[in-house]
Amino acid sequence: MSTELVAGVIVGAGIGWLIDRWLGISPWGLIVFLLLGFAAGVLNVMRAAGVVREQSDRLKPK
Amino acid sequence: MAADPIHQFRIVEFFPVAHIGNTEIAFTNSALFMFAAVIIITAFLVIGTAKKSLVPSRLQSAAELSYEFVATTVRSTAGSEGMRFFPFVFTLFMFILTVNFIGLIPFTFTVTSHIIVTAALAITVFLTVLLYGLYRHGFHFFNLFIPKGVPIAILPLIVFIEVLSFVSRPISHSVRLFANMLAGHITLQVFAGFIILMGSAMGAIGWIGGILPFGMIVILMALETLVAFLQAYVFAILTCIYLNDAIHPGH
Repeated sequence: MSTELVAGVIVGAGIGWLIDRWLGISPWGLIVFLLLGFAAGVLNVMRAAGVVREQSDRLKPK
Repeated sequence: MAADPIHQFRIVEFFPVAHIGNTEIAFTNSALFMFAAVIIITAFLVIGTAKKSLVPSRLQSAAELSYEFVATTVRSTAGSEGMRFFPFVFTLFMFILTVNFIGLIPFTFTVTSHIIVTAALAITVFLTVLLYGLYRHGFHFFNLFIPKGVPIAILPLIVFIEVLSFVSRPISHSVRLFANMLAGHITLQVFAGFIILMGSAMGAIGWIGGILPFGMIVILMALETLVAFLQAYVFAILTCIYLNDAIHPGH
């Protein structure tokens, strides 16, 4: 469960850092994507806990 | 110091195999134990299924059991359509299981205690899901990231968070296996180090007192055996759940 949260934050931080390097807008990319990554991490944890539906449910026909 | 708990994870290079640019690719102890695992699995399955007797021998039942176990897991999580990925999941499960169990033997090397190995496995799963999903559904696959009933104003933000959540999967997938194996082996080594510390510091009383950490090692070893199996199973079942995204049996 904890790795789910950390994974989201790491991915967000990584993407933010790369965008900062490419566009030279440090530290704005890191700030924005770290927050988005945190949100994604929380979403991961809620999926793991079964509170939020899986992404694959959206592909199923109604 | 002899009881350095990190020493067991050291990569030893035996001989160079190839060069890519300036990087030398060497045959390491990690590669050696990977080969050992592959040979053990192959021998186990080939010898186990060689006779094909109706009343199975002990080895044959073990081989059949391993097939049945993974097949049930795949069917229950990814559906019968997921069985086309059975060879992939079975390979992952058997490889991780064997490598974990080899690592439990003293003086051996645990391949899965290095994140590069587990990351390579997790990225393989991730790319398989992504490429097969795109091949199967085309751009409809990206509906994965679009929730229903969200106001158009905040939809881009939500989609972004969903994409990040999808991309973070291989990280949690690989870290879970790697961290469990690393932490377990360090704990065992630390408790083993206590025996030597007590013995060398307090003499005879210390060696007798060393029975306590030794008992702890025995208990931990049982736990680690469970973890070795459980983590292989968790890796396989998560692979099935991720593959289910790409297959989406429409029931």
